[in-house]
Amino acid sequence: MNTVLTQRVAKLLYAPILVVACAILVKGYADVGDGFAAGVVAALAVVLQWLAAPGDAGRRVAVSWWPVVAFCGLSGAILLAAALAARGTELLTHLPAPGGGVVKVGTAELITAVAFDVTVFALVLGAVLGILGAIATTKEEPE
Amino acid sequence: MAADLKPPEGRRSKLVPALVLCAPASFAALLALWLSGGIEVDAPWAPSLDLRLHFSLDGLGALYALVATGVGAAVLLYSWSYLPRHLRHQGRSNREQTRFFGLLVLFMAAMVGLATAQDLVLLFVFWDLTAIASYFLIAYDRHEASSRRAALMALLVTGVSAVLLLIGALILYSRYGTFQLPELFERAQPSGAVALAAGLMVLAGLAKSAQVPFHFWLPRAMSAPSPVSAYLHSAAMVAAGVLLIGRVYPLVETSGVLLHGLLVVGAVSVVVGGLLALAQDDMKRVLAYSTFSQYGYVVFMYGLGSAAGAAAAAFYVAAHAIAKSALFLTAGAVTEATGAKRLSELGGLAKSMPLLALSSGVAVATVVALPLTVGFFADELLFKAAVERGPAFAVASTAGAALTFAYLGRFWLVIFTGAKQRAASPVPRLLVLPVAALALVALAAGITPEPLTRLASAAAEASVRAPVETTAAYYLDLRTENLMALATYAGGVALLALSGALQAPLAALARLGVSVGPERLYVWLVKALNGASDRIHQLEVRDLRTRVAAVLVPAGVLVAVALVAAPGGRTYQAGTVQLRDLGLLLMLALTVVAALAATVPRRHLTLVLALGTVGYGLAGVYAFLGAPDVALVAVLVESVVAVLFLGVLALLPAEVLRREAQITTMSSRRWRDPLVAVVSGGVAFALAWGALSLPATARPVSADHVRLAPEAHAKDVVTAILADFRGLDTLVEITVIGVAVAGVTALMRRRDSR
Repeated sequence: MNTVLTQRVAKLLYAPILVVACAILVKGYADVGDGFAAGVVAALAVVLQWLAAPGDAGRRVAVSWWPVVAFCGLSGAILLAAALAARGTELLTHLPAPGGGVVKVGTAELITAVAFDVTVFALVLGAVLGILGAIATTKEEPE
Repeated sequence: MAADLKPPEGRRSKLVPALVLCAPASFAALLALWLSGGIEVDAPWAPSLDLRLHFSLDGLGALYALVATGVGAAVLLYSWSYLPRHLRHQGRSNREQTRFFGLLVLFMAAMVGLATAQDLVLLFVFWDLTAIASYFLIAYDRHEASSRRAALMALLVTGVSAVLLLIGALILYSRYGTFQLPELFERAQPSGAVALAAGLMVLAGLAKSAQVPFHFWLPRAMSAPSPVSAYLHSAAMVAAGVLLIGRVYPLVETSGVLLHGLLVVGAVSVVVGGLLALAQDDMKRVLAYSTFSQYGYVVFMYGLGSAAGAAAAAFYVAAHAIAKSALFLTAGAVTEATGAKRLSELGGLAKSMPLLALSSGVAVATVVALPLTVGFFADELLFKAAVERGPAFAVASTAGAALTFAYLGRFWLVIFTGAKQRAASPVPRLLVLPVAALALVALAAGITPEPLTRLASAAAEASVRAPVETTAAYYLDLRTENLMALATYAGGVALLALSGALQAPLAALARLGVSVGPERLYVWLVKALNGASDRIHQLEVRDLRTRVAAVLVPAGVLVAVALVAAPGGRTYQAGTVQLRDLGLLLMLALTVVAALAATVPRRHLTLVLALGTVGYGLAGVYAFLGAPDVALVAVLVESVVAVLFLGVLALLPAEVLRREAQITTMSSRRWRDPLVAVVSGGVAFALAWGALSLPATARPVSADHVRLAPEAHAKDVVTAILADFRGLDTLVEITVIGVAVAGVTALMRRRDSR
């Protein structure tokens, strides 16, 4: 698996896959895809690097802080829900309200639902890589 | 006994004093609230099911809540001194005190909740909470098998019967559309359904109050520490049963059969409990049998079906709780002082423990209804209600009271009079003072019964939903109740004199009850269920395929039964196939071929690839069905799962994988596994086909989603649903993923650290 060819291809594909992941996340509200799909695509990009890395390097890069990313994503989602609840609105209702003015950055609209989707992205990315990393870095038990 | 004590181990938690103070503080608060006219709290809980957090400190609620917290205060105070000694005797740490006091306070809180709940589901929740707390309290000495068995017995008998309470509540809900008791009382009309629901609730109450034939769990539960017995089996757990009957009484009294049933069960419990109490040698068992006999009176009084009976029942519960808890605490103090638990090992303790002898004497006088104690009025009200109902009831009440006089007279006389059997070590004052305090309350209420009669009247008003006037006073004349009281004393003295001669036949009766009674049936049922459970478990865990089959086959059979038995039958429509569906059909064919191919390979890698093909094929199906979002997620999830499989396979030694790949199917299972697959797959197919053949609902919610998506600033409806319309669901789902991540990483790290 970790031949020179696969290593080069994996490196070449890394940035484009991450761009695709970002596009899926940003465009999710206007096109196919959402934070979940974007998180899985980004995670697969990282997994490809692990698989292609020479020797044991894959295990070394499977660092243990991916669960922290997942935790940050989940915390962000809960904080967002709590902040909205503190305003006295329904949990996870979207702001600005229907008909309200929305700040746009390109095609992306800065609304609470998109912020929530970003937290889902972080959770999925961290969860997939955290679990796969935990398996990859597991030491074999002597039989 | 005190000389045997080892130095204490560990320190009492600072939380314990706060827990002890909970009881008097709660009592004072409840009393203040009651005196100020009561309180009602009503807040929404689950509005779609009409569930409300509805509590009311009405008369019935106040009576039981005050009894639970008042007696609770005395028991917690007693435990403050009793428990360290109990733990030292058993070589246990003082740190275990927190659990004990915490559970007692939990039980007390559950009782207050139960007493004041006005919603049937809320009532069920608190009912179960008392069962759970009582399980841990009875099994507090968990190193003793008898305690564990007794706790399980109490939990099963009262827990299983709790299901009857829930079924009764659901019957009423299905008929009247509410779980709220006040509304049910307004709407319910005498009918078979109401009688059935009330009957199920009464059964739950009888099991909790240890009435015949559910009585066998109560004597077994005496393996609990004495304060637990004093609290649970005088003022709390058994009281919860009659509380339920009092609470749903407006439903119960709609059925004459139920009232007659209460009369019979109550009378039989009085007699059976009384006779068995007279034959017991173990102190706490005498009190246990006495308890279910006394609660038999309460059930009997509710069965009389009159306001006077309901008021007498409420009064009796309070009087009994005060006196019986004092007697249980007396038994604990006597055992602490002498080390003896049996009456045959005791005698002549009045000289060495005068205050305890006097206090418990007052408690006994209260239960046997001597004048100047609150028990006198309790029996007077009972006699009055029985006389109103008829001469037979009057005779039965008098006979039962005479029996009570005999066995409790024997209890006290054997312990405190006669020749001294064992020396008594000094016991801490806190083991005697709570008994004295309870005795003082019994005396005070015997001289001034007005506060208690007021409470009993209010409790009866909550039960019969009409004004009730209860009066208690001493009349120095020959009215019927006084004559019945005199007959009770005379009969009691006669039975007491004969108790020695009665021991042999009564012991034979007790043995007969053990060998052919309901306890035997309970043991047989528990063993049979345990055996069946073991056999199913063994079958299930034999290998991975059996484990999968154990889920698929029962699920398949249940769904098949539902499909066959569903009213109205099902339609299965094939629809029409057009040329544009060609791509979809090809993807479906590919999926089917891949699924069949997945059953063939022996090598794990090939199997993973075949399963992956099934997943990608399904993603293609979604895409052709016009669900690109779902297709994208399916492709991505399939990719992650494939990588996960490959990662796990990489972890396994190559030799193990080679060896596993060479295993052949046993001939005995050659047909079993395909059969399981065909049955479960066939049922799933029929279910999916049937569901897809159903006509679309008149107004699917998806139409609203599509309509509202632009308002949510979204052009992709699926993302709008996930992140906005159903955002709360997504939050819960990602929380589950977060928990899974935490679990996997923790497991892996723990494994690596070993």
